[in-house]
This record gives sequence, C-alpha cells and structure tokens, in this order.
Amino acid sequence: MDVTERLIDDLRNLPAVVERADYRLQGYHLEVRLQSAQVRDFAKLLRERNFYLAFVSAVHVAAAIEILYQLACFTQPCRILAKAAVSDQGSVPSIADIFDGANWHERETHEMFGVVFSGHPYLEPLLLPEESADLRPLLKAEDAILPADRIRRQAAGQTEDSTLPAKSEGGTSGSDPEKIE
Amino acid sequence: METVGTLPPQLLRMILSAVVVIAFVFMNGLLLGYLERKLAGRFQLRPGPMEVGPQGMLQMVADAVKLIGKQFIIPRQSSTTLFRLAPFLAFVPVGVSFIVIPLSSKLQVLDLDMGLIFIIAVMAFNMVATLVAGWVSNNKYALFGAVRSVAQGVAYEIPMLLSLVTVVLLTHSFSMRAMVLSQSHIWHVFMQPVAFVIYFIAGLAETHRAPFDLPEAESELTAGFHTEFSGICFSFFFLAEYTNMFFVCSIAVTLFLGGWSGPPLPWMEYSGAIWFMLKVYVLLFIMIWIRWTFPRVRFDQLLNFCWKYLTPIALLNLLITALVVKL
Amino acid sequence: MTTNNGNEKRQGFYLNMGPQHPSTHGVLRVLLEMDGEYVLEAEPVLGYGHRIQEKMGESRPWKGFMPNTSRLDYVGALICTHGYIGLIERMTGIEAPLRAEYIRVITSELNRISSHLLWLGAFLLDLGAFTPIMYTFDDREQILDILEDVTGSRLTYCYFRVGGVNRDIDATFIAKTRAFIERLRSRFRIYHDLVTTNIIFIKRVQDIVHLTPDMAMRYGITGPLLRSTGVGYDIRKSEPYSVYADFDFEVPVGTSGDCLEVYLVRLEEMEQSLRIIEQALDRLPDGPHLAKTPKKLPLPQGDASFSVEAARGEFTYYLVSDGSEVPYRLKIRSPCFSNLSILPELCRDMLLSDLVMVLGTLDLVIPEIDR
Repeated sequence: MDVTERLIDDLRNLPAVVERADYRLQGYHLEVRLQSAQVRDFAKLLRERNFYLAFVSAVHVAAAIEILYQLACFTQPCRILAKAAVSDQGSVPSIADIFDGANWHERETHEMFGVVFSGHPYLEPLLLPEESADLRPLLKAEDAILPADRIRRQAAGQTEDSTLPAKSEGGTSGSDPEKIE
Repeated sequence: METVGTLPPQLLRMILSAVVVIAFVFMNGLLLGYLERKLAGRFQLRPGPMEVGPQGMLQMVADAVKLIGKQFIIPRQSSTTLFRLAPFLAFVPVGVSFIVIPLSSKLQVLDLDMGLIFIIAVMAFNMVATLVAGWVSNNKYALFGAVRSVAQGVAYEIPMLLSLVTVVLLTHSFSMRAMVLSQSHIWHVFMQPVAFVIYFIAGLAETHRAPFDLPEAESELTAGFHTEFSGICFSFFFLAEYTNMFFVCSIAVTLFLGGWSGPPLPWMEYSGAIWFMLKVYVLLFIMIWIRWTFPRVRFDQLLNFCWKYLTPIALLNLLITALVVKL
Repeated sequence: MTTNNGNEKRQGFYLNMGPQHPSTHGVLRVLLEMDGEYVLEAEPVLGYGHRIQEKMGESRPWKGFMPNTSRLDYVGALICTHGYIGLIERMTGIEAPLRAEYIRVITSELNRISSHLLWLGAFLLDLGAFTPIMYTFDDREQILDILEDVTGSRLTYCYFRVGGVNRDIDATFIAKTRAFIERLRSRFRIYHDLVTTNIIFIKRVQDIVHLTPDMAMRYGITGPLLRSTGVGYDIRKSEPYSVYADFDFEVPVGTSGDCLEVYLVRLEEMEQSLRIIEQALDRLPDGPHLAKTPKKLPLPQGDASFSVEAARGEFTYYLVSDGSEVPYRLKIRSPCFSNLSILPELCRDMLLSDLVMVLGTLDLVIPEIDR
C-alpha cells in the first residue's frame, strides 16, 4: 500500500484532513475533508494520480451543505470519499475542467441543492425541466435538517477512535502519518 | 357486349391490359409483402404471421384494410397539393413500366423498340417522387431520406446502365422481346456474369433494399422520406417499393436469365410466363434473404462502393465487351 | 447552440433526435447541430424519465425503496438490487448465508448475460441488421423463464433480501441453468458467423471512435466501454463483493477502444459469466437461503458506500443515515450517466449513422441515467 501512503501524505500537504476508513464497514478506503478552496487542488492531485470521478453530490445538513466527491482508481483498489462544506449561499469551485465527467454531476447537484459551482461552463438544469429549475428538490425541509454531527459515524470503540481527533483539527497540515495506522 | 364489339381491338387491348396491370401490381404487393414477412420469420426462427387465414395468408389483406381505414394526416406546414401527389408520383410510373415486360412470347402489352430505355426512364422517376415526398413533408428526417435517395439513385444509375448496355451490345436491340429471343442458345448471365452481379447490386440500391436502404433507414431517420405519410398514402410507397423490386428483377430475368424460356410446357406461348415468374421470384427471394441478413452500410461507404468499385468495373466490362463484339 | 464546453459556434442546422426516436432506446433526446450528414455538436438532453428516485429513497424506510432499485437499471435489475442490499447489509452488519450469496451471484450473472444479449440485439438493430435481435431475444427469453421461476418476475426483479434471497433455488432451476449454459455456448458460434465476421459490420464499427484510458478517467467511464481500452478494471475483481473472490474468471479487455472491441469485450464477458455460473452451481453450498433478521432494522448513524459491477459499469449507492430506518441521504451513481457524458466529445464531426452506432455501443438504459 505504498502508493496509498504517498497519496495520503500528498493529500495532507494540500492541506486536507485524511482519515482511513474501514472498507468493510463503509465501502471506501479514505475519507478526506476539504475546505472549499482546496477542492481544485484536490481534484488536480487525484487527476495526476489516475483517479476517476465516480460522482459529485451533496448532503444537506445544518449550517452547511456538504459536497461529496467520490473517486476511485482503475489500477489499485482505493476509493476516496471527499467532503467539502459550503455555506448555504456559498459556492464551491467547479472541477469540470479537471474531470470532464464532473460537468453533469455538478449540474445535477446544482439543480437539486442549489449549490453554485463557480467557474462551471454551463450551470443549467440537467434532469429537471426548465420551469422547475428553482425547485431544489433534494434540500431538506426546515424541520428535517439535521446538524452535521447527527449523521457522523459513531465511534464503535475500535479503529475510529484514533481518527476522531483529526476531525476537530480542521485544516492543519497532516505531518503525523502514524495517526492513520 | 355490343359496345365492346364496336371498340377498336387496340383500345380493348389497352383497357384490358390496364386492368390486368393494376390488378397485378396490387396482387404482387400483397404476395411479396406476405412472402417477405413469412421469409423474415423463417430467417429469424419464428413462424411469421399465422393468425389471419391459413398460415397467415390473409395478413396482408387485413393490413391493407387497416391502412385504408387510417386517417391521412397532412403536416400543417407542408405543401398540401404536392404532399397528396407524392405517393401517386411514386406509384404510377412503376405501373406504367409493366407494359414492356414480356411475360411470355405472346403475353406482352406492347413491344417498344426502345423498351429497355423506356423502363429505365420510368423507373428513375421514382427518385423524383422520393424527393418530392421528402421535400414537401417539411421534416428534416424526411429531407435527409430524400436527399440520400437522390444521391444514391444518381450514383447507382450509372453502373446499372453500364451493365445493361453490355447486353444491348450483344443483342443489338433495345426491345425487351428481342433480348429474350437472343438468348435462345445461351443465357446472357453466363456470357456477362460481371454485368449481372453489378446490375443486381445496383438494383438493390435503386429499390432502397437493405443493405442499401439508407433513404428509409429507420434507426437513423425514423422512416426516411415517408416519415410523415400515413394510411393509404404510406401504402402507396410500400406498393411502389415492392413493384419496383419486381421490375428490377424482371429486367434481370429478361436480359440475363432468358426471360420466359425454360423446359417446354403446354401452350408455351402463354405458359412461359410461369418460368418467367419463377425466375423473378427466385431473384426476389435472394433480395429478401440479403435484407434479413446484412446490416446497413453507411452513406459514404455506399457512395464509395459505387464510384470506386462498381462504376470502374462496369466500365471495364463494357469496354471489353465492346472490343469482343467488334472483333 | 449552448454547448457545455464553450466551443466556438459553427454554422449548421439543428436536428432534434428524440425523445421519440427508434435508436435512442427510450426517452433520451440528443440535440444535434448538423452540417449535412455530419454532426458538428451533439448535446444530450436528459430528464424525460426523471422520477427523482433519490428523494423517494430519502422519504421512506429503506425497505420501501427496494422495489425501486430494480426500476433504475431495469435491464440488469438484479445487479442493481444487489448494490442496494449489499449497502444495507454493510451498514447493519447482517451477513447473508453462503448459499444465498451463491444464489445471488448465479442470478446476477444470468441477469448480466440477459442484459448483454439485449444490448447485442439492439445494437445490431441500430446498424440495420434485423435478424440478430430475434436470436438474442430467443436466448434472453430462456434466462427470463429461468429467473421467472425463482423470482416471480421477468424484468424488474425484487428478489434479494437483506440477509439472503426471497426464495431458494431448486433442482429444476439448476438443471435449466445448466442446459442454458450449454445452449448459449453453442449459440456464440452463430453470433460469430452471422455478425463478427460480417464485412459490413466490421466496416461500420471498426476505427470509428477510439476511447482511451485517459478519456475514461476524465469522464468516469466504467464497464465494458472502459475495458475495451485495455484497462482491466472490474469491481468484481478490484473491490470484490458478495462471493466473487471465490470464482476463477477473467476480465476481458480490448486494446484500441473502438466499437468493435466493445462488442468483442461484451461477447467475451458473457462467456466469463457462464464460467462463473458454472462454478457457482458446482460448488453451491447447502444451508438456509435467508438469515433471520429483525422486523425493524434501523440503519446505524453514519455513511457507507457500496459499488457493484453492473452490466454497464460501476453502480454505486451512497447512503447517509441519521440512525433511523429512513435514509437521510441516498445517492445513486449510475454508470450510464457518466458513460453518456462523453458523447459530445466523442461524436464531434462524425456522420449521423456513426452517431447512432456510437449511441448503440454506449448501451444506454435511460431510466438509470434520469433516475
């Protein structure tokens, strides 16, 4: 897993928060937390490392919509889930010029959640009809929005424990690789 | 009966022929349609139409009745007159060309000196009908079909004529009757196999049969030039296509396969028609067989094939024949 | 024309292909800018079959969404359901008995073959060959009969359950499946004789477009389309789910990434699926087909993802739960969505006939794209 180690180091240098996930329980190998400003650097890095974009989507939680990026790799089993938070009115940079496939995914996320992807070449509705372009159907109702920590994985007392502190550190540079072990 | 008796025999003959020709065109359409569907079923390991009549024989009649009963829809922005006219433009000429086909030594409406030229000219008129139909439909797919049809028709007319001219060189006549008579010793197909093959391929293209059915390629152009036609007008295009197929094969039989000649039957002057029909339907069978076997070619491939292969080979064949005949 | 990659506009006329067009296989619309027979720009317009499945998934208990999963990719419904069931099992920690996993693999692979057979027929129909679709439907019919016996439906199966499968397979099922394997193996010869060696077919599909691994990475293309470029990426191998790791099968790959290779890869995949089924039938363990599961089964708080190799590529479910039975967020990633997004780049400056051919090669299932 030398390649993955290097990738984790590079991701931490972005700087982003990287946690190893338990594939058996979560179905992806790495979880990455990004500031919205780092999204493009993150995408460029993974593009260089020959990852492909599985999807871009979002989750509506209190205080911020979380943008999800899932990427995987053709050559090694490594599935990455990246989460970037944007504020309700805020935007997130588009990665449609880095991964062309993101174009449609971002359009879909835009029409479903109203997230603005700045720099997107054509942010028009994709699946919804033009007349209901402002519907934002996947936004939660006012009373159904949950705070972000209500949907976080609960520490089961084993591997997750060691990764939990990393969450609170925010965007600090990850110079402590032993934490992921 | 008295009025009939007073008519000049020539006119009587024309009226009778017209009735027979029209009846034949419709019957041929029904028969060929049935044959096509039944054979397609066989090729595809299924029985084909079975429900209407014994072995589904009345299926085409039922379909014809249904088509006649359908509403004829005219697109709002099309040219109404031409739109109504187009199916007849397609249908009438193919009926006319029947008059020079010699079914047997006595069964021929009229033996024109220019029989072959007449039939080719009349058949080429089909292209005009296609163009009109596609143009006035005011539909881009129909226009695509029409333009394809013309480009294809113009291209394939050339090798077709070149291959037919080789036979003319052998018989020194354009009369359809003379063509048959000149084959009493040996059929032209054995002397001109190349010309026959070229003619048959060009004939497939001329009648828009697969693999050259680009003007009505339904996976690309929905239904090509007759996209907007419905009901009885659609069935006229359908009939015209089948009648055209019949004539392409009739010409092939007359020019290459010895026409009505065959093992003698009683009343050979008339019953030769049986041999003629048999040969025509064998060729039609091959056409149907090809259609249900091959995918469709692409448009540039179709034209390349014509201009780069068929036309030069046909020209070469013509030159060699001319030299041999001259020497 | 509003192209989504901001190219300079060229003079042409517009041709609306779809949503009712014989070769868009459903309700896809492609807006074409044409110059004569040449396509200058192709812009897919989606959403005619949009049912907002993700919202449906978020507004009812997870059990209630199970039938919906087979309405996404209705041609390979079992594989599609497999992903959702796998995800719920992953989250709740329920494990299906070994026998159930084997049955899942057998039925999923049968479904994959039926999906490929449908594609084969429809693809050749797009090329103007009418007859092969009758042959492939004849074969596909056998699969549908076999699956109908065990699942109760013919197309939109809801057969997998959390903790196993709905009904056990019996000796008749096994005998029928074995007979089908024999039959299909002998039928491949017909397909090769009728199609693979046909000169018109080869001329129509060879060297028209070339997919590259780089294009696949940029657009997230997966499945047989990706494998035709020479990348042997198959989720059954790279992230083996269910019991796929137990079987010996190869991932067929092409080299040049043209449509002929895609065709050959799909044919080869059918043969590999037959191998998997054969092995699974040989080693089918005894035991229960359904584990005992509690009636009420809330999903633990947190998120999880589950990917399966569907007939067309990577099918991923991503679920976020707040601890209740109703998912908080369900994201469905369908392979065709990404596979189709390459169309504008792939089909620039090609003939209309080739565009139809390429659309056929992509093997689109529109409800899966529109969701």
